[in-house]
Amino acid sequence: MRSYVVASAPHVRVHVRDLGLACCAVEFASAVASGLLLPAPVDDAGAGALNVLVVSGTVTDALAPAVLDEWQALPEPKAAVSFGACSNSGGPYWDSYSVTPGIDTVIPVTTYVPGCPPRPEALVAALVSVGGAAA
Amino acid sequence: MNAIPEGARGFITLDAAACTSCMICVRECPDWCIEIDSHTEQVSEPGARRPRSVAVLDRFTIDWSLCMYCGICVEVCPFDALHWSSAYDYPARERRELRHGIDDLGLPPAGSSEFTA
Ligand code: SF4
Ligand code: SF4
Repeated sequence: MRSYVVASAPHVRVHVRDLGLACCAVEFASAVASGLLLPAPVDDAGAGALNVLVVSGTVTDALAPAVLDEWQALPEPKAAVSFGACSNSGGPYWDSYSVTPGIDTVIPVTTYVPGCPPRPEALVAALVSVGGAAA
Repeated sequence: MNAIPEGARGFITLDAAACTSCMICVRECPDWCIEIDSHTEQVSEPGARRPRSVAVLDRFTIDWSLCMYCGICVEVCPFDALHWSSAYDYPARERRELRHGIDDLGLPPAGSSEFTA
């Protein structure tokens, strides 16, 4: 699991396991590359830090058990962010036989980020809102 | 925070007064995000030969959990009732909160980057 802190709100410490399954993951990478998310110091796994699972991209029914495994492996306290239309609802593929129509059919979602893909800044806004609510 | 580029596609506002309930956006949306309910009313004007039928928009929803921000609805609307906004930050705690109705679509979402009271 990779850990990041939100550059614009250093008090929000989030440990993010980015489960990038499709094009939305590029926006996650962009949030890191543009410095909106900063790699956390190695000793930052401190008590009380919120573990956030960011699921971005199209989840198929074949992949859904892997998402569930990731969620179950994540230590408490934890939250799940659904990033983008595909993980929110299935997106353009909501009527496909093989696509999971929203990851909230698999794991409990704390925050849904709309977008196709959402901007990197939208990820940061969602992380701040999740981290702020948990603090 | 980085500057959001001008013209970024983040949200679509509805000018309900301009919408004629023609359903073109509903039919063209590849994702079936848009739902409309409407009814027609007869309007009688003094001197007119017969009453006019006027479409009245009862419900207009966009489901942002489905939308792929392709802009087809904006492009095809013959009455310029749909407009892009660059608001990007309107995450929701419940998926159903991403279904926005007439009242939610008039302006960019409250609290978002483009919201002005
Ligand atoms: S932008 Fe595209 S997907 Fe979204 S409501 Fe309009 S037509 Fe549908
Ligand atoms: S295409 Fe334009 S006028 Fe027609 S229903 Fe859609 S928003 Fe209203």
